[in-house]
Amino acid sequence: MSIVRNFIQDWSRYRKGIEDGGFHEYEHMWGMVIDLDKCTGCNACSVACYAENNLAVVGEDYFAHGQAMHWMRIERYWDEPNLGDKASKDTQEHGASFMPMMCQQCNAATCEPVCPVAAAYHTPDGLNAQIYNRCIGSRYCANNCPYRLRYFNFYSYYETSWPSPLDMQLNPDITVRDKGVMEKCTFCVQRIRTAKSDAKMDDRKIQDGDIKTACQQTCPTSAIVFGDLMDHESDVHLLWHKHQTKLGTPKQDKKNPELRGYRLYEQLNTEPSVTYLERVREV
Amino acid sequence: MNGDLEPNRVLFRLPRPGRRSGVRFLGLIMFLVGVFITAALVPAPSYADEIFTSPKQGEPSAWSGWLEKEPGPFPGVTINDEPFDGDDVEQPIEFPHNVHADTNKINCLYCHTYARRSDVAGIPPTSKCMGCHSVIATDQPRIQKLAEYWEKGESPPWKKVHDLPDYVRFTHERHLKKFLFDNPDMGVERVDEVCALCHGDVKKMTVAKKQKSLTMGFCTRCHEANDGPFDCQKCHK
Repeated sequence: MSIVRNFIQDWSRYRKGIEDGGFHEYEHMWGMVIDLDKCTGCNACSVACYAENNLAVVGEDYFAHGQAMHWMRIERYWDEPNLGDKASKDTQEHGASFMPMMCQQCNAATCEPVCPVAAAYHTPDGLNAQIYNRCIGSRYCANNCPYRLRYFNFYSYYETSWPSPLDMQLNPDITVRDKGVMEKCTFCVQRIRTAKSDAKMDDRKIQDGDIKTACQQTCPTSAIVFGDLMDHESDVHLLWHKHQTKLGTPKQDKKNPELRGYRLYEQLNTEPSVTYLERVREV
Repeated sequence: MNGDLEPNRVLFRLPRPGRRSGVRFLGLIMFLVGVFITAALVPAPSYADEIFTSPKQGEPSAWSGWLEKEPGPFPGVTINDEPFDGDDVEQPIEFPHNVHADTNKINCLYCHTYARRSDVAGIPPTSKCMGCHSVIATDQPRIQKLAEYWEKGESPPWKKVHDLPDYVRFTHERHLKKFLFDNPDMGVERVDEVCALCHGDVKKMTVAKKQKSLTMGFCTRCHEANDGPFDCQKCHK
Protein backbone atom coordinates (compact mmCIF):
# COMPACT_ATOMS: atom_id res chain seq x y z
CA MET A 1 0.00 0.00 0.00
CA SER A 2 2.90 2.32 0.69
CA ILE A 3 3.89 2.01 -2.96
CA VAL A 4 0.50 3.26 -4.07
CA ARG A 5 0.51 6.01 -1.47
CA ASN A 6 3.97 7.18 -2.48
CA PHE A 7 2.97 7.09 -6.10
CA ILE A 8 -0.13 9.20 -5.52
CA GLN A 9 1.83 11.57 -3.31
CA ASP A 10 4.58 12.00 -5.89
CA TRP A 11 2.06 12.45 -8.65
CA SER A 12 0.10 15.11 -6.77
CA ARG A 13 3.32 16.93 -5.93
CA TYR A 14 4.29 16.77 -9.56
CA ARG A 15 0.92 18.10 -10.71
CA LYS A 16 0.97 20.85 -8.11
CA GLY A 17 4.50 21.74 -9.08
CA ILE A 18 3.52 22.35 -12.66
CA GLU A 19 0.95 24.94 -11.62
CA ASP A 20 3.21 27.21 -9.61
CA GLY A 21 6.42 26.66 -11.51
CA GLY A 22 7.83 24.06 -9.14
CA PHE A 23 8.16 26.32 -6.12
CA HIS A 24 5.34 24.85 -4.02
CA GLU A 25 7.76 23.58 -1.38
CA TYR A 26 8.32 27.02 0.05
CA GLU A 27 6.64 28.26 3.22
CA HIS A 28 6.63 31.76 1.82
CA MET A 29 7.99 33.14 -1.38
CA TRP A 30 8.94 36.75 -0.99
CA GLY A 31 8.64 38.66 -4.20
CA MET A 32 8.59 42.17 -5.48
CA VAL A 33 7.06 44.25 -8.21
CA ILE A 34 8.68 47.49 -9.39
CA ASP A 35 6.61 49.74 -11.58
CA LEU A 36 9.06 51.61 -13.81
CA ASP A 37 6.27 53.89 -14.95
CA LYS A 38 5.99 55.21 -11.40
CA CYS A 39 9.73 55.39 -10.71
CA THR A 40 11.07 58.94 -10.83
CA GLY A 41 14.68 58.04 -10.17
CA CYS A 42 14.85 60.05 -6.97
CA ASN A 43 17.27 57.63 -5.23
CA ALA A 44 15.30 57.68 -1.98
CA CYS A 45 15.24 53.87 -1.95
CA SER A 46 19.00 53.80 -2.20
CA VAL A 47 19.37 56.16 0.75
CA ALA A 48 16.87 54.16 2.79
CA CYS A 49 18.83 51.01 2.07
CA TYR A 50 22.04 52.66 3.29
CA ALA A 51 20.33 53.64 6.53
CA GLU A 52 18.57 50.33 7.13
CA ASN A 53 21.27 47.84 6.28
CA ASN A 54 24.42 49.48 7.72
CA LEU A 55 25.92 50.00 4.29
CA ALA A 56 29.32 51.59 4.41
CA VAL A 57 29.94 54.87 2.63
CA VAL A 58 33.18 54.14 0.84
CA GLY A 59 34.13 57.62 -0.35
CA GLU A 60 34.93 59.07 -3.73
CA ASP A 61 38.14 57.20 -4.48
CA TYR A 62 36.78 53.74 -3.77
CA PHE A 63 33.59 54.63 -5.60
CA ALA A 64 35.64 55.45 -8.68
CA HIS A 65 37.23 52.01 -8.37
CA GLY A 66 33.78 50.48 -8.51
CA GLN A 67 33.69 49.40 -4.88
CA ALA A 68 30.52 51.20 -3.87
CA MET A 69 28.28 49.23 -1.54
CA HIS A 70 24.90 50.30 -2.87
CA TRP A 71 22.68 47.24 -2.49
CA MET A 72 19.94 49.26 -4.13
CA ARG A 73 21.15 51.27 -7.07
CA ILE A 74 19.36 53.32 -9.70
CA GLU A 75 20.56 52.65 -13.20
CA ARG A 76 19.94 55.44 -15.68
CA TYR A 77 19.37 55.01 -19.38
CA TRP A 78 18.72 57.52 -22.16
CA ASP A 79 16.19 56.27 -24.61
CA GLU A 80 15.69 59.46 -26.63
CA PRO A 81 18.25 61.26 -28.80
CA ASN A 82 19.78 64.40 -27.41
CA LEU A 83 17.63 67.20 -28.73
CA GLY A 84 19.07 70.04 -26.70
CA ASP A 85 22.60 71.20 -26.13
CA LYS A 86 24.97 68.72 -27.69
CA ALA A 87 27.87 69.70 -25.50
CA SER A 88 26.10 68.54 -22.36
CA LYS A 89 25.77 64.92 -23.23
CA ASP A 90 25.07 63.65 -19.73
CA THR A 91 22.38 66.14 -18.87
CA GLN A 92 19.67 65.82 -21.42
CA GLU A 93 16.33 67.33 -20.79
CA HIS A 94 14.26 64.41 -22.01
CA GLY A 95 14.42 60.71 -22.30
CA ALA A 96 15.86 59.46 -19.04
CA SER A 97 14.52 56.20 -17.74
CA PHE A 98 15.47 54.66 -14.46
CA MET A 99 15.76 51.15 -13.23
CA PRO A 100 16.14 50.32 -9.54
CA MET A 101 18.42 47.33 -9.28
CA MET A 102 18.74 45.14 -6.24
CA CYS A 103 19.38 41.44 -5.73
CA GLN A 104 16.74 39.66 -7.79
CA GLN A 105 16.52 36.78 -5.26
CA CYS A 106 16.68 34.21 -8.06
CA ASN A 107 14.97 30.93 -7.41
CA ALA A 108 17.52 29.11 -9.53
CA ALA A 109 20.36 31.32 -8.44
CA THR A 110 23.70 31.15 -10.17
CA CYS A 111 25.55 32.37 -7.10
CA GLU A 112 24.53 29.51 -4.82
CA PRO A 113 26.09 26.41 -6.38
CA VAL A 114 29.51 28.02 -6.81
CA CYS A 115 30.00 28.97 -3.17
CA PRO A 116 32.69 26.65 -1.76
CA VAL A 117 31.49 27.02 1.85
CA ALA A 118 27.71 27.21 1.28
CA ALA A 119 27.52 30.75 2.60
CA ALA A 120 25.12 31.54 -0.21
CA TYR A 121 22.17 29.22 0.02
CA HIS A 122 18.43 29.18 -0.50
CA THR A 123 16.09 29.49 2.45
CA PRO A 124 12.68 27.80 2.67
CA ASP A 125 11.27 31.31 2.27
CA GLY A 126 12.54 31.53 -1.28
CA LEU A 127 15.21 33.99 -0.28
CA ASN A 128 18.71 33.93 -1.56
CA ALA A 129 20.57 34.18 1.72
CA GLN A 130 24.12 35.20 2.45
CA ILE A 131 25.55 34.09 5.78
CA TYR A 132 28.25 36.61 6.57
CA ASN A 133 30.11 34.71 9.26
CA ARG A 134 30.49 31.72 6.99
CA CYS A 135 31.73 33.69 3.98
CA ILE A 136 35.43 33.33 3.25
CA GLY A 137 35.53 35.90 0.47
CA SER A 138 36.29 33.73 -2.53
CA ARG A 139 34.11 36.06 -4.69
CA TYR A 140 32.94 33.21 -6.93
CA CYS A 141 29.33 34.24 -6.36
CA ALA A 142 29.86 37.81 -7.52
CA ASN A 143 31.63 36.61 -10.62
CA ASN A 144 28.81 34.24 -11.40
CA CYS A 145 25.99 36.73 -10.83
CA PRO A 146 24.63 37.88 -14.20
CA TYR A 147 23.21 41.05 -12.65
CA ARG A 148 26.39 42.22 -10.84
CA LEU A 149 24.48 42.79 -7.65
CA ARG A 150 26.85 41.36 -5.10
CA TYR A 151 29.28 43.67 -3.36
CA PHE A 152 32.55 42.75 -1.75
CA ASN A 153 34.19 44.42 1.23
CA PHE A 154 37.71 44.95 -0.05
CA TYR A 155 38.67 47.04 2.98
CA SER A 156 37.40 47.61 6.50
CA TYR A 157 35.07 50.35 5.45
CA TYR A 158 33.36 50.45 8.85
CA GLU A 159 36.43 52.07 10.39
CA THR A 160 36.00 55.26 8.41
CA SER A 161 32.36 55.12 7.45
CA TRP A 162 30.79 56.01 10.77
CA PRO A 163 32.94 58.39 12.86
CA SER A 164 32.20 58.51 16.54
CA PRO A 165 28.67 59.84 17.03
CA LEU A 166 27.42 58.32 13.78
CA ASP A 167 27.96 54.75 14.92
CA MET A 168 24.92 55.18 17.15
CA GLN A 169 22.74 55.11 14.02
CA LEU A 170 23.74 51.55 13.12
CA ASN A 171 20.95 49.04 12.94
CA PRO A 172 21.47 46.43 15.66
CA ASP A 173 19.45 43.82 13.76
CA ILE A 174 22.10 43.35 11.12
CA THR A 175 25.83 42.78 11.27
CA VAL A 176 28.40 45.41 10.46
CA ARG A 177 30.43 43.58 7.85
CA ASP A 178 34.20 43.49 7.97
CA LYS A 179 36.54 43.14 5.03
CA GLY A 180 36.62 39.90 3.10
CA VAL A 181 32.87 39.38 3.21
CA MET A 182 30.45 39.38 0.30
CA GLU A 183 27.15 41.12 0.85
CA LYS A 184 24.00 41.87 -1.06
CA CYS A 185 20.36 42.86 -0.76
CA THR A 186 18.47 40.56 1.59
CA PHE A 187 14.93 41.82 0.98
CA CYS A 188 15.30 43.36 4.49
CA VAL A 189 15.42 39.93 6.09
CA GLN A 190 15.61 41.48 9.56
CA ARG A 191 12.16 42.96 9.04
CA ILE A 192 10.84 39.66 7.72
CA ARG A 193 12.29 37.90 10.75
CA THR A 194 10.79 40.39 13.19
CA ALA A 195 7.37 40.28 11.54
CA LYS A 196 7.37 36.48 11.58
CA SER A 197 8.40 36.46 15.21
CA ASP A 198 5.65 38.92 16.11
CA ALA A 199 3.10 36.84 14.21
CA LYS A 200 4.19 33.71 16.05
CA MET A 201 3.94 35.51 19.38
CA ASP A 202 0.31 36.36 18.58
CA ASP A 203 -0.37 32.84 17.27
CA ARG A 204 -1.47 34.04 13.87
CA LYS A 205 -0.31 33.76 10.33
CA ILE A 206 1.70 36.51 8.73
CA GLN A 207 -0.48 38.91 6.78
CA ASP A 208 0.08 40.95 3.70
CA GLY A 209 1.35 44.37 4.72
CA ASP A 210 3.09 43.17 7.89
CA ILE A 211 6.44 43.52 6.17
CA LYS A 212 7.61 46.57 4.31
CA THR A 213 11.11 46.71 2.99
CA ALA A 214 13.05 49.92 3.57
CA CYS A 215 12.98 50.86 -0.11
CA GLN A 216 9.25 50.24 -0.34
CA GLN A 217 8.60 52.28 2.78
CA THR A 218 10.56 55.22 1.43
CA CYS A 219 9.39 55.21 -2.19
CA PRO A 220 7.41 58.47 -2.64
CA THR A 221 5.44 57.14 -5.61
CA SER A 222 4.85 53.62 -4.23
CA ALA A 223 6.59 52.10 -7.22
CA ILE A 224 7.83 49.17 -5.14
CA VAL A 225 5.45 46.50 -3.85
CA PHE A 226 6.69 43.68 -1.67
CA GLY A 227 4.93 40.61 -0.33
CA ASP A 228 4.39 36.90 -0.33
CA LEU A 229 3.85 35.28 -3.71
CA MET A 230 2.46 32.17 -2.05
CA ASP A 231 -0.33 34.22 -0.48
CA HIS A 232 -2.82 34.42 -3.31
CA GLU A 233 -4.45 37.58 -1.97
CA SER A 234 -1.35 39.65 -1.47
CA ASP A 235 -0.76 42.77 -3.53
CA VAL A 236 2.33 41.27 -5.10
CA HIS A 237 0.56 38.14 -6.21
CA LEU A 238 -2.32 40.16 -7.63
CA LEU A 239 0.09 42.34 -9.59
CA TRP A 240 1.98 39.32 -10.93
CA HIS A 241 -1.35 37.79 -11.84
CA LYS A 242 -2.66 40.98 -13.41
CA HIS A 243 0.31 41.31 -15.69
CA GLN A 244 0.40 37.56 -16.25
CA THR A 245 4.01 37.23 -15.19
CA LYS A 246 4.68 33.55 -14.80
CA LEU A 247 7.29 31.63 -12.93
CA GLY A 248 9.11 28.85 -14.68
CA THR A 249 9.21 30.35 -18.13
CA PRO A 250 12.27 31.71 -19.90
CA LYS A 251 10.15 34.33 -21.68
CA GLN A 252 6.85 35.97 -20.87
CA ASP A 253 4.15 35.94 -23.51
CA LYS A 254 3.37 39.54 -24.27
CA LYS A 255 0.61 39.70 -26.83
CA ASN A 256 -1.34 42.40 -25.07
CA PRO A 257 0.65 45.68 -24.67
CA GLU A 258 -1.09 46.25 -21.33
CA LEU A 259 0.69 43.26 -19.85
CA ARG A 260 3.86 45.05 -18.86
CA GLY A 261 5.54 42.56 -16.56
CA TYR A 262 8.95 41.10 -17.29
CA ARG A 263 11.87 39.82 -15.32
CA LEU A 264 15.51 40.56 -15.93
CA TYR A 265 17.48 38.08 -18.05
CA GLU A 266 14.70 35.53 -17.96
CA GLN A 267 16.29 33.66 -20.82
CA LEU A 268 19.09 32.63 -18.46
CA ASN A 269 16.51 30.64 -16.45
CA THR A 270 17.55 32.19 -13.16
CA GLU A 271 13.88 32.63 -12.13
CA PRO A 272 14.11 36.02 -10.41
CA SER A 273 11.50 36.95 -7.80
CA VAL A 274 11.38 40.57 -8.95
CA THR A 275 9.06 41.67 -11.72
CA TYR A 276 9.55 44.97 -13.48
CA LEU A 277 6.59 46.64 -15.15
CA GLU A 278 7.64 48.30 -18.37
CA ARG A 279 7.57 52.03 -18.72
CA VAL A 280 4.79 53.44 -20.88
CA ARG A 281 5.99 55.97 -23.41
CA GLU A 282 3.94 58.49 -25.31
CA VAL A 283 4.58 58.02 -28.98
CA MET B 1 21.52 37.86 -26.44
CA ASN B 2 18.12 38.26 -28.03
CA GLY B 3 16.09 36.26 -25.57
CA ASP B 4 14.77 33.75 -28.05
CA LEU B 5 16.09 30.64 -26.36
CA GLU B 6 12.99 28.45 -26.38
CA PRO B 7 13.17 25.26 -24.34
CA ASN B 8 13.09 22.03 -26.26
CA ARG B 9 9.62 20.85 -25.43
CA VAL B 10 9.63 17.66 -27.54
CA LEU B 11 10.97 15.00 -25.23
CA PHE B 12 9.68 11.84 -26.86
CA ARG B 13 8.72 11.32 -30.47
CA LEU B 14 6.30 8.60 -31.36
CA PRO B 15 7.97 5.95 -33.50
CA ARG B 16 7.49 6.09 -37.22
CA PRO B 17 6.02 3.02 -38.88
CA GLY B 18 8.84 0.69 -39.69
CA ARG B 19 10.14 -2.78 -39.17
CA ARG B 20 11.42 -2.42 -35.61
CA SER B 21 9.07 0.30 -34.41
CA GLY B 22 7.05 -2.09 -32.27
CA VAL B 23 10.17 -3.14 -30.43
CA ARG B 24 11.14 0.48 -29.86
CA PHE B 25 7.66 1.33 -28.62
CA LEU B 26 7.71 -1.63 -26.24
CA GLY B 27 11.09 -0.46 -24.97
CA LEU B 28 9.71 3.01 -24.38
CA ILE B 29 6.76 1.59 -22.44
CA MET B 30 9.01 -0.61 -20.36
CA PHE B 31 11.21 2.38 -19.63
CA LEU B 32 8.24 4.46 -18.53
CA VAL B 33 6.93 1.64 -16.31
CA GLY B 34 10.36 1.39 -14.74
CA VAL B 35 10.43 5.12 -14.10
CA PHE B 36 7.02 5.09 -12.45
CA ILE B 37 7.85 2.12 -10.25
CA THR B 38 11.06 3.80 -9.16
CA ALA B 39 9.22 7.02 -8.46
CA ALA B 40 6.68 5.13 -6.39
CA LEU B 41 9.28 3.22 -4.40
CA VAL B 42 11.49 6.16 -3.55
CA PRO B 43 9.76 8.38 -0.99
CA ALA B 44 9.37 11.95 -2.06
CA PRO B 45 12.18 14.05 -0.56
CA SER B 46 11.24 17.40 0.86
CA TYR B 47 13.33 20.53 0.51
CA ALA B 48 14.51 20.35 4.07
CA ASP B 49 15.59 16.74 3.68
CA GLU B 50 17.94 17.69 0.89
CA ILE B 51 19.85 20.19 2.96
CA PHE B 52 19.63 18.96 6.51
CA THR B 53 19.18 15.33 7.27
CA SER B 54 17.99 16.04 10.76
CA PRO B 55 17.10 12.77 12.46
CA LYS B 56 13.90 12.28 14.39
CA GLN B 57 13.94 12.35 18.15
CA GLY B 58 15.28 9.15 19.62
CA GLU B 59 17.18 8.04 16.52
CA PRO B 60 20.98 8.17 16.51
CA SER B 61 22.28 11.34 14.92
CA ALA B 62 25.55 12.78 13.77
CA TRP B 63 25.84 14.65 17.04
CA SER B 64 25.16 11.71 19.29
CA GLY B 65 28.82 10.72 19.53
CA TRP B 66 29.76 13.77 21.53
CA LEU B 67 26.47 14.40 23.26
CA GLU B 68 24.61 12.04 25.49
CA LYS B 69 21.09 13.30 25.72
CA GLU B 70 19.58 13.20 29.14
CA PRO B 71 16.04 14.14 29.98
CA GLY B 72 15.82 17.66 31.28
CA PRO B 73 14.11 18.92 34.40
CA PHE B 74 10.75 19.06 32.65
CA PRO B 75 9.31 17.15 29.69
CA GLY B 76 10.09 18.11 26.16
CA VAL B 77 13.29 19.92 26.96
CA THR B 78 16.72 18.43 26.70
CA ILE B 79 19.61 20.43 28.03
CA ASN B 80 23.28 19.93 27.73
CA ASP B 81 25.35 20.02 30.88
CA GLU B 82 28.76 20.47 29.43
CA PRO B 83 31.12 22.10 31.92
CA PHE B 84 32.12 25.63 31.08
CA ASP B 85 33.81 28.15 33.27
CA GLY B 86 33.44 31.72 32.16
CA ASP B 87 35.58 34.65 33.13
CA ASP B 88 34.87 36.69 36.23
CA VAL B 89 33.27 39.95 35.29
CA GLU B 90 34.00 42.97 37.42
CA GLN B 91 30.77 44.88 37.93
CA PRO B 92 30.49 48.39 39.39
CA ILE B 93 28.39 46.97 42.24
CA GLU B 94 28.68 43.30 43.20
CA PHE B 95 25.05 42.44 42.69
CA PRO B 96 24.16 39.35 44.77
CA HIS B 97 21.80 37.22 42.66
CA ASN B 98 21.58 34.61 45.42
CA VAL B 99 20.11 37.06 47.94
CA HIS B 100 17.46 38.27 45.52
CA ALA B 101 16.49 35.12 43.64
CA ASP B 102 17.19 32.42 46.20
CA THR B 103 16.78 33.87 49.67
CA ASN B 104 14.01 36.33 48.91
CA LYS B 105 12.51 34.34 46.02
CA ILE B 106 12.09 37.25 43.63
CA ASN B 107 11.02 36.12 40.18
CA CYS B 108 13.60 36.62 37.42
CA LEU B 109 11.00 38.34 35.28
CA TYR B 110 10.39 40.98 37.93
CA CYS B 111 13.67 42.71 37.16
CA HIS B 112 14.49 41.31 33.70
CA THR B 113 11.02 42.21 32.57
CA TYR B 114 11.77 42.68 28.88
CA ALA B 115 12.62 39.00 28.43
CA ARG B 116 9.01 38.04 27.87
CA ARG B 117 8.24 40.74 25.32
CA SER B 118 11.39 41.55 23.39
CA ASP B 119 14.55 40.09 21.97
CA VAL B 120 16.76 41.12 24.86
CA ALA B 121 16.18 40.44 28.54
CA GLY B 122 17.53 43.81 29.54
CA ILE B 123 18.93 45.20 32.75
CA PRO B 124 16.39 46.96 34.96
CA PRO B 125 16.60 50.75 35.30
CA THR B 126 18.00 52.14 38.54
CA SER B 127 14.52 53.31 39.48
CA LYS B 128 13.45 49.69 39.79
CA CYS B 129 16.29 49.03 42.24
CA MET B 130 15.40 52.13 44.20
CA GLY B 131 11.76 51.08 44.33
CA CYS B 132 12.75 48.63 47.05
CA HIS B 133 16.09 49.94 48.20
CA SER B 134 14.93 53.39 49.18
CA VAL B 135 13.52 51.51 52.17
CA ILE B 136 15.22 48.10 52.41
CA ALA B 137 18.80 47.62 53.60
CA THR B 138 19.80 51.23 53.25
CA ASP B 139 22.68 50.80 55.70
CA GLN B 140 24.60 48.36 53.45
CA PRO B 141 27.64 49.80 51.64
CA ARG B 142 26.58 48.45 48.23
CA ILE B 143 23.15 50.00 48.57
CA GLN B 144 24.71 53.32 49.53
CA LYS B 145 26.84 53.11 46.39
CA LEU B 146 23.67 52.51 44.39
CA ALA B 147 22.01 55.48 46.06
CA GLU B 148 24.96 57.66 45.02
CA TYR B 149 24.40 56.72 41.39
CA TRP B 150 20.69 57.37 41.83
CA GLU B 151 21.23 60.85 43.25
CA LYS B 152 23.69 61.70 40.50
CA GLY B 153 21.09 60.60 37.98
CA GLU B 154 23.34 57.99 36.38
CA SER B 155 23.02 54.29 35.82
CA PRO B 156 25.72 52.02 37.16
CA PRO B 157 27.87 50.98 34.17
CA TRP B 158 26.93 47.30 34.25
CA LYS B 159 29.07 44.96 32.13
CA LYS B 160 27.52 42.44 29.79
CA VAL B 161 28.16 38.85 30.86
CA HIS B 162 26.36 36.78 28.22
CA ASP B 163 27.53 38.60 25.12
CA LEU B 164 26.69 36.86 21.85
CA PRO B 165 28.60 37.75 18.68
CA ASP B 166 27.26 40.46 16.42
CA TYR B 167 26.11 38.02 13.76
CA VAL B 168 23.84 36.01 16.04
CA ARG B 169 20.23 36.81 16.72
CA PHE B 170 18.66 35.34 19.82
CA THR B 171 15.20 36.28 21.00
CA HIS B 172 14.21 35.79 24.60
CA GLU B 173 10.48 36.18 24.01
CA ARG B 174 10.15 33.25 21.62
CA HIS B 175 12.16 30.92 23.84
CA LEU B 176 10.18 31.90 26.90
CA LYS B 177 6.94 31.39 24.99
CA LYS B 178 7.93 27.88 23.97
CA PHE B 179 9.43 26.68 27.22
CA LEU B 180 7.32 28.58 29.72
CA PHE B 181 4.07 30.12 28.56
CA ASP B 182 3.12 27.42 26.05
CA ASN B 183 4.32 24.62 28.33
CA PRO B 184 1.38 23.36 30.43
CA ASP B 185 3.74 21.68 32.90
CA MET B 186 5.44 24.92 33.82
CA GLY B 187 4.25 27.89 35.79
CA VAL B 188 5.67 31.38 35.74
CA GLU B 189 6.95 30.87 39.28
CA ARG B 190 9.38 28.25 37.92
CA VAL B 191 10.87 30.59 35.33
CA ASP B 192 14.32 30.26 36.91
CA GLU B 193 14.52 26.68 35.62
CA VAL B 194 13.96 27.94 32.09
CA CYS B 195 16.57 30.67 32.48
CA ALA B 196 18.98 28.07 33.86
CA LEU B 197 18.97 26.21 30.54
CA CYS B 198 21.31 28.81 29.08
CA HIS B 199 22.39 30.98 32.00
CA GLY B 200 23.34 28.31 34.51
CA ASP B 201 22.20 28.33 38.10
CA VAL B 202 22.16 32.07 38.64
CA LYS B 203 20.39 31.59 41.97
CA LYS B 204 23.57 30.23 43.49
CA MET B 205 25.84 32.97 42.12
CA THR B 206 26.63 36.34 43.52
CA VAL B 207 27.88 38.22 40.47
CA ALA B 208 26.52 36.55 37.34
CA LYS B 209 29.04 34.41 35.51
CA LYS B 210 28.89 32.50 32.27
CA GLN B 211 28.30 28.82 33.02
CA LYS B 212 27.29 27.64 29.56
CA SER B 213 29.47 27.97 26.51
CA LEU B 214 26.71 29.48 24.29
CA THR B 215 28.50 28.30 21.18
CA MET B 216 26.72 27.31 17.99
CA GLY B 217 26.99 23.66 18.97
CA PHE B 218 25.28 24.45 22.27
CA CYS B 219 22.39 26.07 20.41
CA THR B 220 22.04 23.45 17.66
CA ARG B 221 22.03 20.51 20.06
CA CYS B 222 19.02 21.94 21.87
CA HIS B 223 17.39 22.95 18.58
CA GLU B 224 17.80 19.43 17.33
CA ALA B 225 16.41 17.84 20.46
CA ASN B 226 13.41 20.16 20.63
CA ASP B 227 12.61 20.57 16.92
CA GLY B 228 13.81 24.14 16.73
CA PRO B 229 14.36 25.85 13.39
CA PHE B 230 17.46 24.72 11.55
CA ASP B 231 17.62 27.36 8.85
CA CYS B 232 20.87 29.37 8.90
CA GLN B 233 19.23 32.72 8.39
CA LYS B 234 16.86 32.23 11.31
CA CYS B 235 19.71 32.92 13.72
CA HIS B 236 22.51 34.42 11.65
CA LYS B 237 21.98 37.99 10.62
